[in-house]
Amino acid sequence: MKKKLRSEREKYLLSLKKQSTKVHAIRLAILIGFFGLWQILAYTETIDDFITSSPVRIVKMLRELLSSGIFVHIATTLYECILGFIIATVVGSLIAVWLWWSETARRVLEPYLVVLNSLPKIALGPVIIIWVGAGAKAIIMMTVLICIIVTVISVLSGFMECDKDKILLLRSMGASKLQILTKLILPGSLPNFMSVIKINVGLAWVGAIMGEYLVSSAGLGYLIIYGGQVFKLDLVMASTLILCLLAALMYIVVAVIEKRICRFR
Amino acid sequence: MEILQLKNVSLTYQTRTEETVAVDDVSFGVKEGEFVVIVGPSGCGKTSVLSLAGGLIKPTSGQITLDGKPVETNSKIGYMLQHDTLFEWRTIEKNVMLGLEVQKNRDTYAKNYAHDLLKKYGLYDFRKHYPSQLSGGMRQRAALIRTLALRPRLLLLDEAFSALDFQTRMEVCDDVHSIIKSEGKTALLVTHDISEAISLADRIVVLSKRPAKVKSLYTVNLDGKTPFERRENKEFSVWFDRIWRDIS
Ligand SMILES: Nc1ncnc2c1ncn2[C@@H]1O[C@H](COP(=O)(O)OP(=O)(O)OP(=O)(O)O)[C@@H](O)[C@H]1O
Ligand SMILES: [Mg+2]
Repeated sequence: MKKKLRSEREKYLLSLKKQSTKVHAIRLAILIGFFGLWQILAYTETIDDFITSSPVRIVKMLRELLSSGIFVHIATTLYECILGFIIATVVGSLIAVWLWWSETARRVLEPYLVVLNSLPKIALGPVIIIWVGAGAKAIIMMTVLICIIVTVISVLSGFMECDKDKILLLRSMGASKLQILTKLILPGSLPNFMSVIKINVGLAWVGAIMGEYLVSSAGLGYLIIYGGQVFKLDLVMASTLILCLLAALMYIVVAVIEKRICRFR
Repeated sequence: MEILQLKNVSLTYQTRTEETVAVDDVSFGVKEGEFVVIVGPSGCGKTSVLSLAGGLIKPTSGQITLDGKPVETNSKIGYMLQHDTLFEWRTIEKNVMLGLEVQKNRDTYAKNYAHDLLKKYGLYDFRKHYPSQLSGGMRQRAALIRTLALRPRLLLLDEAFSALDFQTRMEVCDDVHSIIKSEGKTALLVTHDISEAISLADRIVVLSKRPAKVKSLYTVNLDGKTPFERRENKEFSVWFDRIWRDIS
């Protein structure tokens, strides 16, 4: 009987393993298929690789870039992206805390938040450049603007969703408002906060690249725009690829942190 | 000696659209060591009476005293709600210590008492677990221990068992009753479940439909040590009929 149970379990685990191997294999196949097809089409001159580039040309370009200071560009974009992300997340969360604390502030500012949220931030580009100058500052500013409103709205709504009974319980223990914030609201919103951060990571890249499109003399966004202007599609594609890798890396870092923090689930 | 005393207490809720009279001239008391149960139809104002008794809301008129002094939210009152309201991100141990933490009580004596309670009521081995790893009954027990850890003079329980399935409810009901009795605590419980009221109460306060008024007061002298034994008692159904008629 025991043996049979065990083999059932083994069967189950085996099927799980099979399933996940299958998923991974298909994922890989899509990637290889995509680049393979691209390369074949370019090689057979079905498509014009001057316009579409090709995997081989991209690899060549990557090699070239590696030996000619691509890291300056990566560092520039990373710096703008990460700094903008941190400022937006910290300041946005602090504003959310303030709005949670003061019902008056919350009610007063609600329509402004809604309007600012739906405003395409890129429209503010010219204003930003005039105010803070055309440089890294403007790009960081753009990143912050794109992330911060979403941060405030999502973090605040996480705070407001908190279980009323738990607030009641703390109040009955004689907790102060500050204690309700630190013992309940903040730790309780951690899962929500992590998903806000995930969204922000994505938005920060949008902000940094968009900022670089507007004004820049370095960075991956700059390379892409520059490559487009001088019709070097290899450069455009190679930079885009690096961007993909960096964005994925940052997402993985956040996901790992999330797993560490939200152990209780 | 009365611990809690409500005298001609009324409460009117004000909202943007209307005003609701929830409690109308309610008076009753709870004596030391007593288990008093408030029953009433749903929506009649039971939770409001309990919140008033706990000092969480102020009455529109009337007096509420705890040990002879006007109530306020403090360590003397322990609350237990329908849902266990354990904090999912804290271990059971940390949950139980929540009240002590809030009141900045770093007394080792208080901490030891909380640990003793965990041991006595079978949760010590689970102290490092998170609430999601415990059954509904165990969670409710943990919530009770969290409340008891503050050594409250008076326990207020609001439909504390309603969220549980029937089987667990019977068990937890027995559990909570025996814990409260063996710790010698005074308790005021609110429920809409008449059988639950009869099986637990030393005294029953029956409230009318909203606005809540005291319809009748009973001293229940049913034999039986535990709620379960009481339910087996022949007179149980007599009591049930009496109160059921009162309410409807
Ligand atoms: N904060 C509030 N503001 C306005 N009205 C309220 C508030 N709390 C309760 N009420 C109203 O007061 C009345 C009594 O509510 P209460 O929650 O005390 O009843 P209850 O007997 O506990 O109900 P239930 O059986 O649903 O638990 C209800 O009509 C309710 O709508
Ligand atoms: Mg209620």
